[in-house]
Amino acid sequence: MFGKLTWQAIPWDQPIPLVAGSVVVLIVLAVLAWVVIKGYLPYLWREWITSVDHKRIGVMYTLLGAVMLLRGFIDAIMMRSQQAAAFRAAGYLPPEHYDQIFSAHGTIMIFFAAMPIVIGLMNFAVPLQLGVRDVAFPTLNSTSFWLTATGALLVNISLVIGEFARTGWLVYPPLSGLPYSPGVGVDYYLWALLISGVGTLMTGINFVTTILKIRAPGMSYLRMTIFCWTALAANLLIVAAFPILTATLAMLALDRYLDFHFFTNEAGGNMMMFINLIWAWGHPEVYILVLPAFGIFSEVISTFSGKPLFNYRSMVAATMFICLVSYMVWLHHFFTMGAGGNVNAFFGISTSIIAVGTGVKIYNWLFTMYGGRIRFATPMLWSMGFLVTFVIGGMTGVLLAVPPADFLLHNSLFLVAHFHNVIIGGVLFAAFAGITYWFPKAFGFKLDEGWGKIAFWLSLIGFYVVFMPLYVAGLLGMTRRLQHYDVAAWRPWVLVAGIGIIIMICAAACQVVQFVVSIRRRDELRDETGDPWDGRSLEWATASPPPPFNFAVLPDVRGEEPYWEIKRRAIETQQLSAEPKYEPIEMPRNSPTGFITAFFCTMTGFALIWHIWWMVGLGIVAAYAVFVWFAWRDVTEYSIPAEEVARFDRARRQAREQWLAQHAGQPA
Amino acid sequence: MSHETNARDPGDVGPGFMDAAELTAREGIARYVIGFVLACALTAASFYVLNTSLIWGPGIPVALVVLAIAQMGVHLVFFLHITTAPDNTNNVLALAFGVLIVALVIGGSLWIMDHLNENMMPMHQMMQMQR
Repeated sequence: MFGKLTWQAIPWDQPIPLVAGSVVVLIVLAVLAWVVIKGYLPYLWREWITSVDHKRIGVMYTLLGAVMLLRGFIDAIMMRSQQAAAFRAAGYLPPEHYDQIFSAHGTIMIFFAAMPIVIGLMNFAVPLQLGVRDVAFPTLNSTSFWLTATGALLVNISLVIGEFARTGWLVYPPLSGLPYSPGVGVDYYLWALLISGVGTLMTGINFVTTILKIRAPGMSYLRMTIFCWTALAANLLIVAAFPILTATLAMLALDRYLDFHFFTNEAGGNMMMFINLIWAWGHPEVYILVLPAFGIFSEVISTFSGKPLFNYRSMVAATMFICLVSYMVWLHHFFTMGAGGNVNAFFGISTSIIAVGTGVKIYNWLFTMYGGRIRFATPMLWSMGFLVTFVIGGMTGVLLAVPPADFLLHNSLFLVAHFHNVIIGGVLFAAFAGITYWFPKAFGFKLDEGWGKIAFWLSLIGFYVVFMPLYVAGLLGMTRRLQHYDVAAWRPWVLVAGIGIIIMICAAACQVVQFVVSIRRRDELRDETGDPWDGRSLEWATASPPPPFNFAVLPDVRGEEPYWEIKRRAIETQQLSAEPKYEPIEMPRNSPTGFITAFFCTMTGFALIWHIWWMVGLGIVAAYAVFVWFAWRDVTEYSIPAEEVARFDRARRQAREQWLAQHAGQPA
Repeated sequence: MSHETNARDPGDVGPGFMDAAELTAREGIARYVIGFVLACALTAASFYVLNTSLIWGPGIPVALVVLAIAQMGVHLVFFLHITTAPDNTNNVLALAFGVLIVALVIGGSLWIMDHLNENMMPMHQMMQMQR
């Protein structure tokens, strides 16, 4: 009846996962109870869970990413404290548990923290910056989000029911094959990623279509913001790369479930092929994360320097160059696998060349700041922290791209320090910069600057204190993923990294305090004009928070920085442009399709992990039935009457007129 | 820095909307029929070349590859309506990007996998060591 699932699946004898799991379950139950008792459930269902509004979906993506970031961070704290304790000792985490923690840390941070935050920010900002009302396929967008949530849920269920993979975050065979990993850990990994991977692929298709086909009148390609360009590049990468991941993991699943031999030792299988294919996805994935991050920094640096971005066109060219070359470097993840000099030289050189594109961008940001009137707001601090940190990470990357050096540093903590240097310094700093930058647009009030700045400085210092010692430990020969060690020379560096993680904990606490304080002080921090940062692109042309239809009248774009020009014109003439003629607006109706599909996909995934075959069938049939039910819908849109649009836009215009009157006499 | 002009970029139009209106139903059907006949002919030809003496034996796989690529071309032109018209730029670019990525991944994988034993001891030496 229940396949492999028995009461023994719950780790009764291991206190750490059991207690952690129970606490999480209690918190979730408490939140649910609070929502139900307060009567918020109908509101949540109508306005958020079934929402197809790109802004709401973006917020939910970012929230999911933030919660998972916290989960992955707790894993990181456990690893650093285990290594600090486990010098000539066993530490407090047994090896099989420690292995699960580093696997879960990598999986969660990449797939369920970084990806959702990046996709969430794209969801929120791209349609606004393009000057349109929604993405190309709104219901698909909602389904993408809920499928990602399914993956995150499955990974977290593994904490309490069964176990997670002990193989590292990319489940290399033969270790992940059935003979060496007979448990359900690898299966949790496979189905979580296969299901959420479909969601990510659909997001990619959605955004490529949106950016190529749905733009405000006059918004030609070379008038789009750099964030839209990087979003386009990242989503092209998603469309081309995620099928490789899905196919590779599907082949591993066939090996494990149906006795195939793609990646086994017997019957002509070759596990090297897995490593080759997974990195053919894996390297583009790095740029899927970091290109939108570059886009966020471009927006932030230009806004807070009060200048247009330096050399916009070279920025576009560098973005598309990175997009293409990112498909020609993947072997640098396995230089040591046995390929000869020609192959290693080719991929080493292409890896060094891709750094040129990033170098162009670094100079463009520096020259944007040069001569600008810089305001050191929190998003700008994150961006400047990024510039310094990312250059260091990039340099160690170019060092690792030299095959002979890589043979020495492969799988060492030097490598670990390098990729944390670029991912934390690049993607995570961008996530925080983007969240602080667009938060007032999303919710109508700014985040508290004081706590934000403390959080930034603690994160920056904490980052260096954790990872600079790990570079040294790596050069001293310490390999990654060690549960315990007995080399005295490594000890001090590991201890310093342990101190660093305490600073990072304080930083994370400040971030949480920042949100709590900001929400409590929201009336003081209110953004009335819709343009709290003196912005330049179209998202600041509407109110904060924007109405469901984003713009009362689609903006007519006539230059690279459309909103900046509208604003200049208003200041010069001391009046807004004439009131437009308002017309009713058709918007897509909310739909529970995404949520219900994801519910049945969760069921299918869970059943596949535990071999509960009747439930697999039920889940697939039900998920398909939901799709058919959605396809047969009669009413797809609802109409917002012209009076409501007018009422809304007049309120916004009034706020802008007040602002103009207060700032009369300001030089144009 | 900003290039303010009042003109909109004429080359930047939504693709795919024009050709549907221009074709009559008859022309549309004719296109599909031509495509279908060509596709069938190419399929038949690939079965034919397998057992023919028209082509030099070792050249048969090459002939099959050529016929397969021609088949893809027929599908793209007659069924997926890829043209060189300006309104098709996005589709052509997407196709080119897709072909490039597939070529890179497949070609790269073949090259890498072929190279994996480069640093291994030659087989006969290994055999000698086992004696």
